[in-house]
Amino acid sequence: MSIATPVFSAPIAPVLGRIPGNKAIWVGIYCELTEFALMFLVYFVARAHHPDAFRGGPQQLSTLAGVTNTVIMLTSSYFVARGVMAMRRNARATCLKWLTAALFTGIGYPVVKFFEVQWNVAQGLSGNGEVFQMAYYYLTFNHLVHVCWGLLGLIWVMFRTWMGAYDATDHDGLEAFACYWHATDLIWLMIFPLFYVLP
Amino acid sequence: MHNERSLTLAWLLLLGLTLVGAVLGNAGSPGLWVTVTVAAMMAFKGRVVIDHFLELGGAHPSIRRLVRFYAVALPVMLILTDLFGPQIAWLTTL
Repeated sequence: MSIATPVFSAPIAPVLGRIPGNKAIWVGIYCELTEFALMFLVYFVARAHHPDAFRGGPQQLSTLAGVTNTVIMLTSSYFVARGVMAMRRNARATCLKWLTAALFTGIGYPVVKFFEVQWNVAQGLSGNGEVFQMAYYYLTFNHLVHVCWGLLGLIWVMFRTWMGAYDATDHDGLEAFACYWHATDLIWLMIFPLFYVLP
Repeated sequence: MHNERSLTLAWLLLLGLTLVGAVLGNAGSPGLWVTVTVAAMMAFKGRVVIDHFLELGGAHPSIRRLVRFYAVALPVMLILTDLFGPQIAWLTTL
């Protein structure tokens, strides 16, 4: 005897060639990737001109702050992905719990950044300092702005989820936000080794 | 459930690699092999995020290829900068 499975509880198989979320978010993500690509280009040119400043750079920064923010970004991204998976099962309440966890984790990023900047200032690192410090502030502050936008977007999709705007068959808005958040995570995974790790 | 388990494993792997990378960076002295190792970890972590978080495996080719290229191009540029720093500096001097 077979048991009929309700359509809404079946996980949605990825459709080959689909656009995750919606087209608009990918225009935004392409813009974000292009913006950071230009900034990374500046980083590589500056590194080629001042190799010693960049090799000694990570020693000036707080590795703990960098690692903590990487853990925060990865964990918040994971929670968002779990939220999307829950919505695919039509488990709206579970989705909202994952998104709430993602929000509280994600808020840790600007908080850590605040204390990191305080620590930097105490160590004498400023945006008017040498080339490594300027590149560091230039890229990481831009990334912080993108994280803050993402947190606002997260609050919006949480509100929409709470209002019942999404279900298993229609949650493009939630998925679009998830794509933006993961892309912002991806960029941080490129920034982190360049400034905090690579000697 | 399988997807959730593989996502969780991907997340734990990324956390582990982050810690290993940080230790490696602090312990290692500047050199091409440290740069290559860091670049390889960048590319690998990027690919894990792209495949497991962004789920671009079945996405439209223009999206999938561009994002995958991005996560490879940056580490390659890092290695090239270490290998050909003086030449890049010469080319970009006004």
